[in-house]
Amino acid sequence: MPGFLREYSSSVLFSMLLHGLMIAALVFSAQFSFTHHPSNLQPLPVSATVIDSQILHAAARAQEEAAARAAAQAKAAADAQAAEQAAAAAQEHATEVQKAEVVKQAADAKRVEAAKEADDAARAAQAVKAADAQRALEAKRAAEAKQAAEDKQSALAKQAADAKRVADAKRAAEERARLDREAELRRQIQDEEHVSEVEAGPLGDRYRLSLQNRITHAWIKPPSARSGIDCRVEVTQIPGGEVTNARVTQCNGDAAVRQSIENAVYRASPLPDPPDPSLFHRVFVLEFKPND
Amino acid sequence: MIKPLRVLQILAVLVFCSAARAEFVVEITRGQSEAIPIAVVPFSSAQETAASFDVADLVSDDLTRSGRFNAMDRKDMLEQPHSGAAIAFDDWRRLNSDYMVVGQLSAQGSDRFNIVFELYNVLTRQRLLGYQISTNRAGLRLASHQVADMVFEKIIGVRGAFATRVAYISVLGHLPNRRYRLIVADADGDNPRIIMESNEPLMSPAWSPDGQSLAYVSFEDKLPSLYVQTLKSGERHRVSARAGVNQAPAWSPDGKKLALTLSTRDGNLDVYVLDLATQGLTRITDDPAIDTEPQWSKDGNSLYFTSDRSGGPQIYKISLTPGSKPRRLTFQGGYNARPRLSPDESQLTFVTQEDGAYRIATMDLNGRNDVQVLTKGHFDVSPSYAPNGAVIIYASRDQGRGVLAMVSSDGRVQQRLVSPEGEVQEPAWGPF
Repeated sequence: MPGFLREYSSSVLFSMLLHGLMIAALVFSAQFSFTHHPSNLQPLPVSATVIDSQILHAAARAQEEAAARAAAQAKAAADAQAAEQAAAAAQEHATEVQKAEVVKQAADAKRVEAAKEADDAARAAQAVKAADAQRALEAKRAAEAKQAAEDKQSALAKQAADAKRVADAKRAAEERARLDREAELRRQIQDEEHVSEVEAGPLGDRYRLSLQNRITHAWIKPPSARSGIDCRVEVTQIPGGEVTNARVTQCNGDAAVRQSIENAVYRASPLPDPPDPSLFHRVFVLEFKPND
Repeated sequence: MIKPLRVLQILAVLVFCSAARAEFVVEITRGQSEAIPIAVVPFSSAQETAASFDVADLVSDDLTRSGRFNAMDRKDMLEQPHSGAAIAFDDWRRLNSDYMVVGQLSAQGSDRFNIVFELYNVLTRQRLLGYQISTNRAGLRLASHQVADMVFEKIIGVRGAFATRVAYISVLGHLPNRRYRLIVADADGDNPRIIMESNEPLMSPAWSPDGQSLAYVSFEDKLPSLYVQTLKSGERHRVSARAGVNQAPAWSPDGKKLALTLSTRDGNLDVYVLDLATQGLTRITDDPAIDTEPQWSKDGNSLYFTSDRSGGPQIYKISLTPGSKPRRLTFQGGYNARPRLSPDESQLTFVTQEDGAYRIATMDLNGRNDVQVLTKGHFDVSPSYAPNGAVIIYASRDQGRGVLAMVSSDGRVQQRLVSPEGEVQEPAWGPF
């Protein structure tokens, strides 16, 4: 049941709202029918159920109960009180839709109706007997309705509790993620401190030199690659030194210079292995500055 | 309120990290000046008529002769694609070719041909060029040179000069039956045409800047006279036949004047400027020594020339402003003569004497004036720059015979041209 409610909470809400309206409509119409045709009660709830089921299949059962309850309410004054409670409950859910007034009117109408019903009961024994039977039935249904309302209440409470639990879990997860991120950053900083130490040391110099040699031998300078030329190319390599991309990012040379530089990087592939694995850069920059 | 602060903190750390990382940068200050490997794949040609012409062979030769390229021997080609879609780049990369040219030659009619070619960068797999050239049979050579020009320019960044011409003097037979010819040929020495023929010496051909005319010295009147001949019409004019020497013509950049060498009555040679329209003559040098072989600066305001005023021949530069004094440029060695200027005026080429031999040298005009001797022959003379400055053509001797040779202006590649008949002298490379 709580699962059903969670899944169809909006539908249920809507159905409750509709019930409130229906009760009001029924009470209102019953007032007239009782005046003119007291025995002709049954068809109205049936037709109401059909409309209801057309709109909301899932809540069909609840609708039936409510419909029956509405019919019984029209019969007995005691029932009127129960109906009033139900109407009040419906009203509670209907506050956002501006139907509170309609519901109130319906309740008033019910009270008047209940008084008339009492007169009728005193006058007709048959009617009293029928009313007793109806009352018994209605009492049962009212209890059921109350139970349903309670169930709903507890479901809502449970839902709220669930939501809180989820929110708490999410917060905890976020906190964990944040701590993880910070730890990762600390680790990266430490790694980089290590790498920059190595890069600045003799191993870094050796790696730089070997890259320099390889590229220098691979670069066929065009005539326009003279001093004053300054071009940067972003090199992407995979472990093993194979060049997967060479992209000139900034260059004051002509197309021939740019092309010669890109080609130099590809010609130099595979690039030499670093003397220390920490020196391997998947992406690094070559700066071409010919000095003649 | 802790959260936003946290985020800021993390961001700050990240920024700091990337700044601290500051990339791994390796600086490259030197490169190679070796030839670029290129594969010019034989062009497909379905028709028999077209098959008799080999576009790829000509393009390949042009590129190799420039010194900038090393064209792959077609025997080493594992396959011969004719379009980009058919290129297996990995294979060509393994063959160490950085670039490749593929194409097709097709006949479109009785005397109509289509050359379609593409240039690819094998390393980046980029298509750099794709052109179609339509021509007749007589134009196939020129069209192929144009293919080479486009490839050269795309890769080197300098205009190609393969579809240009060279003028030279050819001497046939022996005295007293010598024949002198002024010849214009394609830049690869092929397709020679006779412009002028004489029983008396022809000398010093010089191209007008527009490539329409040649100035030259002819002894047809037994004495040296200066002629200007229009190539298309064959029309010629004698522009200077003054007493004594009339020699070494050089066109001004605007094509309106000639610098030349004339002699005074006592036989002293000096440099003059002749206005072709008015015949007005201006004396530029005035020195008892020999001043000759003038060349115009790019702006037309100065002349480079050879003078032996210091004892031996050296190269000087003089402003055309009246009263200017010449400035000596060459100091290395006792013989530096016949200057020619590179098209961008960054370099001078001339004949120098080294170990008793005449060789082609260059000197940078960037202030340092570094001299480089480019050739190793015994008699390498008359250098002339290609209009793109990449190559120098000169006259050399092969087994006692005068031949044409070329050297790249950085001295890297040297090549002898298809040897025309006779003794070849004084090549002059024409403009674009």
